[in-house]
Amino acid sequence: MRNRRTRLLAAPLLTLLGVLAFAGPAQASGESVGACMADHLEELVDQHDGDLHDVLHDEHVQDELEKCFEAPNPILPETTEIIWGGAAFLILFVVMVKKGFPAVKGAMDARAEKIRSDLDAADQAKADALAVQSDYEARLADAKSEASRLIDEARGAADQVKADLMVRHETEMAEQRERAAAEIESARTQAIADLRAEVTDIALGAAERVVQSSLDAEVQGRLIDAYIDEVAGTNG
Amino acid sequence: MANSTVTSYAEALFAIAAAEGDLSGVEEELFQFAQAFRSNDELSSTLADQSAPVSGRQQVVEDLLNGKASTTTTALVSMMVGAGRAAELPDIVDALVERSAASRNKDVATVRSVVDLTADQKDRLATAINTRTGKAVEIKVVIDPTVLGGAVTQIGDEIIDGSVRRRLNQLRESFR
Repeated sequence: MRNRRTRLLAAPLLTLLGVLAFAGPAQASGESVGACMADHLEELVDQHDGDLHDVLHDEHVQDELEKCFEAPNPILPETTEIIWGGAAFLILFVVMVKKGFPAVKGAMDARAEKIRSDLDAADQAKADALAVQSDYEARLADAKSEASRLIDEARGAADQVKADLMVRHETEMAEQRERAAAEIESARTQAIADLRAEVTDIALGAAERVVQSSLDAEVQGRLIDAYIDEVAGTNG
Repeated sequence: MANSTVTSYAEALFAIAAAEGDLSGVEEELFQFAQAFRSNDELSSTLADQSAPVSGRQQVVEDLLNGKASTTTTALVSMMVGAGRAAELPDIVDALVERSAASRNKDVATVRSVVDLTADQKDRLATAINTRTGKAVEIKVVIDPTVLGGAVTQIGDEIIDGSVRRRLNQLRESFR
């Protein structure tokens, strides 16, 4: 703040020094050698009460006139210029102090305030970003943890399913073996039964034919007698 | 159980045979004809064929029974065929036999055998059945070659099987 004020005051001072340093000679302000000599002569005439002759013979006049041929002071401007320049400078300085400096100061303050606000906003944004990052990292950690838990659960479930399938497979295999054994035994039993029935049918068919051919009327009569005796004998 | 039609026809046959004074003879002849009707599919289908003329079917009956059965038996069979009751003839005859036996306070014992029983065998079998069941029965013999030997007697729902066929079947079962 102080540096800014110093810079603001130094600007017009440097301007004044520039004016003084680079002020042109008198002729630079538009006065010619003749005019200079005329002015000096007029002034000297007045000092000698209008006697031009005395003026021309005065030694000092020559020196004064010769001054018109001398180069003006390269540093000091004309007094009027200094006055006008100083007045302008003062006016400008006053205007600058009253109007420009507050405006510049306000702009600078506003700029500084804006920069400070921007910095605060940046800090806040950074803090928010850090908070978001922290929250994101926390969520990421939670997600990783949840994913790990789900993977573990899935792996456990898969292991359980695998074990169940193995048990079921073994059970089914055992049942299939039992069924196959039962079917084989049933088929074997059925085959034996069929074979036995076939042999029985053949044997009994042959026996039936033998009986039919061998049972004549006499034998039939004896069989009926035996039947009658059987009916009578089974009483009680 | 015989239905009312069968019972009515049986009562009619019984009355006619009784009126003709030859109940037992007509009954026996009708019984034998009924057995032939049961065992002979061609005969049963011919007599029961409603599409054939009645006179033709009755002529078949006349031809079959002419000289082998009494005129009463022939007339009764012809009458049932003419009435369109040929299919029910065996049941009607069974009802007639039961009705006739019942009139003498007896039951009917149907005996199936390969050969006919002699009169002595019938008497002894009737006595044996009476001794066994307490029922007085009349023996009706049905010739059945499938019996092979011996006899099978049915009295009502009771069956006394002493056939060779039963022995063979028992032997068959014992082999299995």
